[in-house]
Amino acid sequence: MANKTIMVIDDAASIRQVVSMTLKGAGYDVIEACDGKDALGKLDGQKLNLIITDVNMPNMDGITFIKEAKQLPRYKFTPIMVLTTESQDEKKRAGQAAGAKAWVVKPFQPPQLLAAVSKLVLP
Amino acid sequence: MDLMEQAQETFVTESLDLLIAMEEGLNQLESEPDNEELINSVFRAAHTIKGSAGLFGLDDIVAFTHKVENVLDRVRDGDIAITPPLIAILLECRDHTEALIEDMGGEATDPALLEQSGQLLERLQGVAGGPGGASPAAGAEAAASSPSTWEASVDRQESPPVENDNWHISLKFHPDVFRNGMDPLSFLRYLATLGEIVRVATSLDAMPEAEAMDPESCYLGMEVAFKSDADKQTIMEVFDFIAEDSEVAVLPPYSKLSEYAELIEKLKAQDDSYRIGDLLLQCGALTQPELDKALSYQQAHRSDPEPQPLGEVLVEQRAVHPETVKAALGKQKQIKEVKLKESKSIRVDAGRLDQLINLVGELVIAGAGTNLKAQQLGDADLQESVSLISRLVEEIRDRSLRLRMVQVGDTFNRFNRVVRDVSRELGKSIRLVIEGSETELDKSVVEKIGDPLTHLVRNAIDHGIESAEARRAAGKPEQGMVKLDAYHDSGSIVIEVSDDGGGIDADKVLAKARANGLVPADAQLSRPEILRLILKAGLSTKEAVSNLSGRGVGMDVVTKNVEALRGDIEVESELGRGTSIKVRLPLTLSIIDGFLVGVGSAGYVIPLDSVVECIEHQDVDKVRAHGGRYINLRDEVLPYLNLRELFGERGASTVGRENIVVVRSGNQKAGLVVDELMGEYQTVIKPLSRIFSRLSGISGSTILGSGEVAMILDVSALIKEAEQKTLQLG
Repeated sequence: MANKTIMVIDDAASIRQVVSMTLKGAGYDVIEACDGKDALGKLDGQKLNLIITDVNMPNMDGITFIKEAKQLPRYKFTPIMVLTTESQDEKKRAGQAAGAKAWVVKPFQPPQLLAAVSKLVLP
Repeated sequence: MDLMEQAQETFVTESLDLLIAMEEGLNQLESEPDNEELINSVFRAAHTIKGSAGLFGLDDIVAFTHKVENVLDRVRDGDIAITPPLIAILLECRDHTEALIEDMGGEATDPALLEQSGQLLERLQGVAGGPGGASPAAGAEAAASSPSTWEASVDRQESPPVENDNWHISLKFHPDVFRNGMDPLSFLRYLATLGEIVRVATSLDAMPEAEAMDPESCYLGMEVAFKSDADKQTIMEVFDFIAEDSEVAVLPPYSKLSEYAELIEKLKAQDDSYRIGDLLLQCGALTQPELDKALSYQQAHRSDPEPQPLGEVLVEQRAVHPETVKAALGKQKQIKEVKLKESKSIRVDAGRLDQLINLVGELVIAGAGTNLKAQQLGDADLQESVSLISRLVEEIRDRSLRLRMVQVGDTFNRFNRVVRDVSRELGKSIRLVIEGSETELDKSVVEKIGDPLTHLVRNAIDHGIESAEARRAAGKPEQGMVKLDAYHDSGSIVIEVSDDGGGIDADKVLAKARANGLVPADAQLSRPEILRLILKAGLSTKEAVSNLSGRGVGMDVVTKNVEALRGDIEVESELGRGTSIKVRLPLTLSIIDGFLVGVGSAGYVIPLDSVVECIEHQDVDKVRAHGGRYINLRDEVLPYLNLRELFGERGASTVGRENIVVVRSGNQKAGLVVDELMGEYQTVIKPLSRIFSRLSGISGSTILGSGEVAMILDVSALIKEAEQKTLQLG
């Protein structure tokens, strides 16, 4: 069976690295993108089981990205998790309204992240 | 290395990049405090560092950057105005963040740094005010500060206000309109077929006194309010017949403006359609004739000291609304940014590049060997294929050397900060002008040139630029200017640090040098020679600094650093006008184009850049004045050195006649007597071990195709030697 694929969007290379290493260690395939715009460009019809995105990024922020991604028929139902330092309720509501399924606040511990991921990735 | 350690390394490089961006952003904010994108990028730097640091449990960094981020967040929301003191403290915070990141290797953060964190944050709070406590006046001031230039020019030209949803058409007929058989009214009638003419105001401003009036000339002007769904192109076409010499301006109704803005926003970036005129054309806000007119206007005023941007010209000619130009400018910036992103770079470990360059060096040597063998064998086919390979090798050499080239701009931009800090320290107002920042230089040179440059820039500020009072008295602008420039000049790179300060007093320098015994009391020195004295160690005394117009502290160190890079320094200065110091550096440090000469049985390589010409020894008149040795080269007196004597070469000359190679270093020349000229040679520089460091006149060695070793000559040292010899003998 093919591995499950997760897209990780964050403008900080170190965060991307840790998240993707953690996920790869758990057997997922990972696609990395450095901001919302880059990520949209990389959505080209492949199957994604989950998208993990940051909020505050250059070029296109995470909330806008979620809204845009939800417009694409192929990714309409792909679960999206927000992984960010933002914890204001206002932002969370905005994220939820845009279609985010989960909100994880940085800094995170790899096991926590994996637990949250496994809840969202459908078998 | 485990996952976290690897990621932490990424964190360090990433954070340092972000801090550089933050510094640039802050420096730029000083001149454009309203630039939202800059504020965002500064904020994002602090934000991202905080976020990533949290991941690695670097709590001290998180705590510090969190506070900084909060302040920046309030700046972003407009709660706090950007002021010079705020920028200054934020720059300090930036530096402190860098210190914290550099410190994180150990177990716990250095307590001194932590204490500093607290102090800085307190001061930051002091400048930024308590949460929400920013004075509203400061905010309002920032909001009201200078609008961009083209907006200002629009205000001046008093365009008739457009208060409703009509097109505004402004007509000024040419005096010859009647003579050409045209009736102005007919245009209005035709215009009426496209929509509704709401209002016509006739302007008679151009009408002269009755006796001066020519009844056959047209003096009319009309301002027409016009309601129509037609596009601009169609409306312009109505006036096609008179558009040539009459003034026709068609301004769209306000409802169109947002439409244009939207269209511009949606435009796809085509190849190079990011020019402002093209953007406006594509969305229909501008017609081709209007654009042509504006472009030819711009062309005609090309030589103006400050050429007007196209957008401004268009607004002035009333072809488009300022709002539309603004939208197009925004789009243009966006497209450019995308382009920039496309030319992304790859980060490569410097060590790998060095390995590659070393291999290429070996390849060059091996290639030269093959070439030699092929020539000895005399096989034409073999020679041909070898020459093809040599050409490719040469190209690979150039390309791989270019991999190490970086633009000098990043290094230059760091000096914004140096100039800012030093000028503040000294209470002088100084502007840094940066030119040639796209000039490329070997990375290893760039790394080593930072310190000497810092020194030169500090010197220029400290000793070069006079006090504000002195400048005023000399009739100069109060603000001093320091310029950094980089450019290519005959095979080398020149980095120039110049100032418009007081210049160097050559007489004082000479007097000082004589007093110090640097030059014999009776020696006659030319002005360039005197100026070069400031590079000497003996002049860098405390006394010299205060008595002379300065310069001297550590200049010998600068000279040494530059010479270690096989570079050279030239000093030019005019009393009262300023000083310019040119640092001439080789393009690269590892492989050069050389000129191979034979002396006795050995080969020597002269860097090709420094070779001026070659002449036969017999052809020149020798002037033996005072037993000194000069040659007379077309009435120019040149000192010369016989390499055979200099290097004690005993082998017999292989050719009958000797040759003289004329070499140049900076603006000094000398002749070198050699036996044989063997032509251009790609030279891979092999540094000499320290045992040979005392040898003057030799800067390195190389391996020839035959496997023999050839010395690379240090031209500037040889020229000095030649001059000294003639001096001693004289």
